[in-house]
Amino acid sequence: MEKVKIKEYVSLTKTYRFSAGHRLFIKSLSDEENFKIFDTCSNPNGHGHDYSIEVKLTGDIDPETGMIYSLEDLDKIMKLVIEDLDHKRLDIEVPYFENDQPTGENIAKYIWNKIKPSLSDKLIHLKLSETSNSYFEYYEEGNYPYER
Amino acid sequence: MEVVQCANYAILFGFKGVLERMGFKKLLTKKMEFSASHRYWNQEWSEEKNIEVFGKSAGPHGHGHNYNLEVTVEGEVDAETGMIINLYELKSVMTEVLVDFDHKHLNEDNPHFKSLVPTTENIARVIWELLEEKLENNPKCSLYRVRLYETQDLYADYWRK
Repeated sequence: MEKVKIKEYVSLTKTYRFSAGHRLFIKSLSDEENFKIFDTCSNPNGHGHDYSIEVKLTGDIDPETGMIYSLEDLDKIMKLVIEDLDHKRLDIEVPYFENDQPTGENIAKYIWNKIKPSLSDKLIHLKLSETSNSYFEYYEEGNYPYER
Repeated sequence: MEVVQCANYAILFGFKGVLERMGFKKLLTKKMEFSASHRYWNQEWSEEKNIEVFGKSAGPHGHGHNYNLEVTVEGEVDAETGMIINLYELKSVMTEVLVDFDHKHLNEDNPHFKSLVPTTENIARVIWELLEEKLENNPKCSLYRVRLYETQDLYADYWRK
């Protein structure tokens, strides 16, 4: 009888936090039109959130270190990304968001693209929470069999 | 399709909203907290290398966490009891497993970590193995996922299939 091969799945998820301000606003439209689309999020003087980023990594547990990935290295990678965002007004102080709206979706994509080169295949999922009631997820379709 | 109802328990009911091809998945998750200390240390390495790789987690006297364990089981809902697994059974199984973890120094007091670094990933793996062994006698449910929070900002998921 053929022996069924059992595979193990391990993932590690770490949360990082930053606080930032933003205003959702399309420059080519009037204040009224922007208000219709973005409601209070288009308030002229902006507003802020305490964001949290959940980074999910997967891979084999290294037999020597017992880890999927060094948490110290992950902290260093995330620190660099967060430095550019923390306590900033995103649509004014972060060049990337001068053109792209600093919505949760776009911030999640921005962070993903910043950290993906360093983490490569280990990075499988990113979750950005804007408030305790709304969060955004970013991951490659078909590459996320690790959720359970 | 039967609807699983369960209220007033200090458990989290993980429906997950997953509509599987074969029908609804039925999951039950029970949480339990334990406190333990550990030290990241590979006996095969020099002190310098351990400190280089593990940083302050390699401190000689160890340090501790309040771990939160979430155990999810999968199975059919028994028509008579309305349960996937008797919660008292699950509670006693988890309690038995955690005897060697709660208020222990994992490297010193838990035989599984004599030569295995007690990282979150490895603790989750060991807990999975111990739980699976104990739940083998129960034909109606199987272990689905072990999620271990080391702090509220760090957790590992572990499962096999």
